[in-house]
Amino acid sequence: MTELFTYLVSGIALGSSFALIGSGFVVVHRVTRVVNFAQGSIAVVGGMLSATLLDGLLPHGLAEPLAVVICGAVGLAVGFLALGRRGTPPLISLIVTLGVSMLISAAIIWLWGQDPVSPPGLDGSTTLLGVTVERQRLLVVGATVLAFTGLALFFSRSYVGKALTASASNPFAARMVGIDVRRMGLLAFALAGMLGGLAGVLVAPTNAVSFYSDLPLALSGFAAAVFGGLVSPLRTLVGGLGLGIAGQLTAGYLNGSYQTEAALLLMLVIMIARSSTFVHEEAK
Amino acid sequence: MIRRIPPKGYLTALAGVAALIAPLVMNDLTFLMRMMLAAIVVTGLSLLMGYAGQASLGQGAFVAAGALTVALGTTRLGLPPLAVLLAAPLVAGAFALLVGPPLLRLRGHYLAFGTLALLLIVQTAMSAFDGLGGAFGISGIPPFGVGSSIFVGQLPYVYLALGCLAVVLVLTHRIVHSRFGRGVRAFAGSETAAESAGVPVMRSKVTIFAISGMYAGLAGALSAFFTPYVSSDSFPAVESFTYVIMAVVGGLGTVWGGVAGAVLVSALLQVLNTVSSQPGLPPTAGPIMQYATYGALLVLALLFMPRGVVSSLDGAFDRVAARRRAGEPA
Repeated sequence: MTELFTYLVSGIALGSSFALIGSGFVVVHRVTRVVNFAQGSIAVVGGMLSATLLDGLLPHGLAEPLAVVICGAVGLAVGFLALGRRGTPPLISLIVTLGVSMLISAAIIWLWGQDPVSPPGLDGSTTLLGVTVERQRLLVVGATVLAFTGLALFFSRSYVGKALTASASNPFAARMVGIDVRRMGLLAFALAGMLGGLAGVLVAPTNAVSFYSDLPLALSGFAAAVFGGLVSPLRTLVGGLGLGIAGQLTAGYLNGSYQTEAALLLMLVIMIARSSTFVHEEAK
Repeated sequence: MIRRIPPKGYLTALAGVAALIAPLVMNDLTFLMRMMLAAIVVTGLSLLMGYAGQASLGQGAFVAAGALTVALGTTRLGLPPLAVLLAAPLVAGAFALLVGPPLLRLRGHYLAFGTLALLLIVQTAMSAFDGLGGAFGISGIPPFGVGSSIFVGQLPYVYLALGCLAVVLVLTHRIVHSRFGRGVRAFAGSETAAESAGVPVMRSKVTIFAISGMYAGLAGALSAFFTPYVSSDSFPAVESFTYVIMAVVGGLGTVWGGVAGAVLVSALLQVLNTVSSQPGLPPTAGPIMQYATYGALLVLALLFMPRGVVSSLDGAFDRVAARRRAGEPA
């Protein structure tokens, strides 16, 4: 029973990071219909940045938020390229962001080299329900809960958040009432960059990141976002947690190396099973 | 492309002659071979992306299927090389037919990620199961040959690949200009309209997917004979992205786009490789330049030349010809 609890807790921590990256996909896709492939690369940049900043430059508590803000700026830059030309179809924008993620990989190797980097996180562990849990993993879960609450409040309560939702549901009507849809798109990219950066900052202390981690991070985040049909942050959270727990159970009871593949297979099944709904969503 | 303008015929002939001479005068045959193999894969991908409007980020899965057919067929079953070379595209095509119907119910972003997931699953399967190579891969693939004449050195492989590329191009040309090809182009524009005009959309999609899988399988088979080693690391995701880059740079929806993209991108990478291996540069210069070039090429090509090199040149060509006819100085 303790074993099961261990897998559950570590699955929730892992799933939280999937959900954070996935929420970045959702925020951008809702507003612009673009899938931002660079989401994983931005998370890697977040982890690397926090490691550099923590290395004698800034104390804990300052370095991490700064890394997240810089990631927001990177996200904005990605947005400028992806939405650069009016009338670029979303699928072409996806391939543009694939190109951007390669540019970011080049920058990562240039600035940080090819070796994995892991910034210091919270040390030690606590006992929860009879299970020993690393404190950093609890921090991941806590930060994710905060981030999703923040997102929900932002979208439902703030003026800008409502403008974002308006641009998402009907760009034409939004433009009619004076909302700059293109600027909202860029804002969504910046917000997604911050979410990706946050995920990277939180994940890197327990799982070292390198330029090579962008693909697994992007894929697991996308898999989580698929549960939410690429539009719902809440269902993305549920999907991320589900994937994380499924992954940890596979790793624990079957074989550790099949963890990612279990998640990928699950994603494929969900996508194919729900494909008729997607067509409906795209037709809207 | 439906009108046959003679000057373009000359260009095709010129390209053919250049391709026949190049292996004799160039030192780096490995580079040439890789370029030809990429051209074969990208021609199929261009057909899928440009004509059928479906994106695949995991074309390497079918390259792997072709390479595995050769590796397993020769080393485990002891089949003759010619038989496995012919079987490889069929196996890869059958694999595409198997995974195509569920995958192609996805479209756009979902299909792109779905095919990428397929590639990663194939990679894991190859490293996990000893029957597919396992951790050590499959080595000891015999050289290609028919009967008692066996290939020696790299040159015959390059010409074999060139021959295969020619077959693939002729086949692609025939497909594009057939009734089936017109139907495919119709559903890339609007599925509903094509469907109502009697085009069997789903079946056509799966067929095109299988054809592009067959081309990839053929390239994989040739690479397995050339390298002679196949493992789960032989088909990294970056290579499948490279195929997309080549297809986009060359121009989607043109028969020659795949070849043009493969030649341009390979040549550029080769130049960068030479530059980055100069003494005095850090060892990370290579990967930095490679990734930066890939990224910059994709972004710039898509934003400023979205129709690709071939279409852009084609357009310029037609404009010049039209101006000549109008009696203006070109």
